[in-house]
Amino acid sequence: MASSSALRTEPPKATAGTGSTSTAAFRRKRLRRGIGRVGTHVALLAISAFALAPLAWAISSAFKSDTEIMTNLSIIPSQPTLDHFRVVLRESNFGRWFLNSLLVSLGTTVLAILVGSLAGYAMSRWRFRGRGFYGNSLLVIQMFPGVMLAIPMFLLLTKFHLIDTLWALLVTYLTFALAFSVWMLKGYFDGIPREIEEAALIDGTGRLGALRHVIMPLAGPGIVTVAVFSFLLSWNEFFFAYVFLASPGKFTLSLGLYSFIQQFTTQWGNIMAAGVLATLPVLVFFFLLQRSLTRGLVAGATKG
Amino acid sequence: MQDTIHLENSPLAPKPRRRRARRGGYRKNLMAYGLILPSLVFLMAIVVYPLSVGLLEGFRYHNRLQPWLTAFNGLDNYVQAWGDNQVWLALRTSFVMVVGIVGVSYALGLVSGLLLNHKFRLRGVYRALMLVPWVVPPVVSYISWQWMLNDQSGMVNQVLQQLGLINQPILWLASSKLAMVSLIIVGVWSRFPFMMITILAALSSIPDDVTEAASIDGANRWQIFRHITFPMILPVSVIATLLQAIWTFNDFGLPFVLTGGGPANSTTPLILLSYKEAFQRFNIGYGTALAIISMVLMLALGAVYLRMQRREGVYE
Repeated sequence: MASSSALRTEPPKATAGTGSTSTAAFRRKRLRRGIGRVGTHVALLAISAFALAPLAWAISSAFKSDTEIMTNLSIIPSQPTLDHFRVVLRESNFGRWFLNSLLVSLGTTVLAILVGSLAGYAMSRWRFRGRGFYGNSLLVIQMFPGVMLAIPMFLLLTKFHLIDTLWALLVTYLTFALAFSVWMLKGYFDGIPREIEEAALIDGTGRLGALRHVIMPLAGPGIVTVAVFSFLLSWNEFFFAYVFLASPGKFTLSLGLYSFIQQFTTQWGNIMAAGVLATLPVLVFFFLLQRSLTRGLVAGATKG
Repeated sequence: MQDTIHLENSPLAPKPRRRRARRGGYRKNLMAYGLILPSLVFLMAIVVYPLSVGLLEGFRYHNRLQPWLTAFNGLDNYVQAWGDNQVWLALRTSFVMVVGIVGVSYALGLVSGLLLNHKFRLRGVYRALMLVPWVVPPVVSYISWQWMLNDQSGMVNQVLQQLGLINQPILWLASSKLAMVSLIIVGVWSRFPFMMITILAALSSIPDDVTEAASIDGANRWQIFRHITFPMILPVSVIATLLQAIWTFNDFGLPFVLTGGGPANSTTPLILLSYKEAFQRFNIGYGTALAIISMVLMLALGAVYLRMQRREGVYE
């Protein structure tokens, strides 16, 4: 393992083959490389610790009793307790919020894949008029300040009695997810040779049939990436939920958690327990799909 | 049958760009329009329509507490914004936030990307750990940071005190100057994973033989980075930085949840100010005008982004 990294960074034979390198210089070089490797790990550990700190501390606090929370600085609770989780599940709408978030996120994800693959397919296989404009508009959406859209949307949704419903969130999240999913899937479809689908078309399957039975199964990693992205986007979104929803029974998790700070003010144990529960699903989802997700993102970012 | 004709004509033709001027083109592309239609419906309903309503609001006096006074007032909202100290302060805050967060998170992302650009054991573990900030719901992490930075019982102050580094608790979120520093730290925390993964992708597309050839020629690591690696990841870096600048500028949750914009408005960026005007002071017209100003600023950055994107062929 170590030697392979050495092979990559230093051209091996060129220096070793000359034979004139003294053993002392060689040893010094190896020592330096060793220090470099230790340094690398120290730096990576430090950055990882920074990245992990808030979540680790939240988990740790969630399992500490109220007195321990104020006194014990160790990350491992001396007497772990589930009290905070009990309070959260019993004395709040947590279950309801969880369900709301799940409904909105799954709805967004499924629709983003369906609607996005249709549009992505059109972008990939046709050069229709307005294609560039359409594609650019999708990119520009990602740059709009949410507030700019939220104010007029708030007025419109009020007029149509859709304010304070999960539908309002679903369509909003879907639009933002589409901005990503259309481009992502287009990139994947571009990479699928046209010959494969020509065969299907000659066999008499229509375009939609070819998309469904031939193209989609081949775009697996792209679909995974779009799914994770759409799910994360809707699960984690806070601003539109905050503006559109008013009744606690309709809250999504992000909004519910925010209302927790008001309800439990400084009862950090309860707040952190709720936070951990809200993070769990996305974290599991993410680690399961981490590998194909990174691959998908990398491919999407570098090839067209 | 129709489909096979499609194959030979425009849709599946391998040539990248073709001038299509003939009117028959529309019929051939009918299917494509049908395919983008569902997404267009959402775009229209969620973006185009509200946007046009919003643009009109920006030219109105509209206060929900005095609805009878609603009327067009031309450029009054913008004139008012120009003379409004709060707006200038908020713009300055936005600027400091964007430069601080994007600059530092780029540096950190670059360092992590470079460190992870070799094959070694645990590489996947480190990479996964560093992506965690990207996954945790922002509200959860901002609240957790708030708790860690709490001046009385927060973990950061307690650790510093036990190490004997400070005598007095540091007012991380309660003093105007430090609140901005805290905001930038937390912003960097939430944004560097994106930078890391983008830079890593760019680095992995550099062929090994280029750097190997340079090192055979006697270039040291720094020279290789300075003259080969960095120039090759520069285009992607610029694009990632622009995107992050836009997203940071538009970030509502970070200042709203972490500091609430305080103390004394010291961490209220323009986006938060526009929200407060519209939804807390009910000045819909004025709030929208401020949002439009933000949007114009971001579209300017966005135009640069699209141009870069096109030139680098990242998407097309």
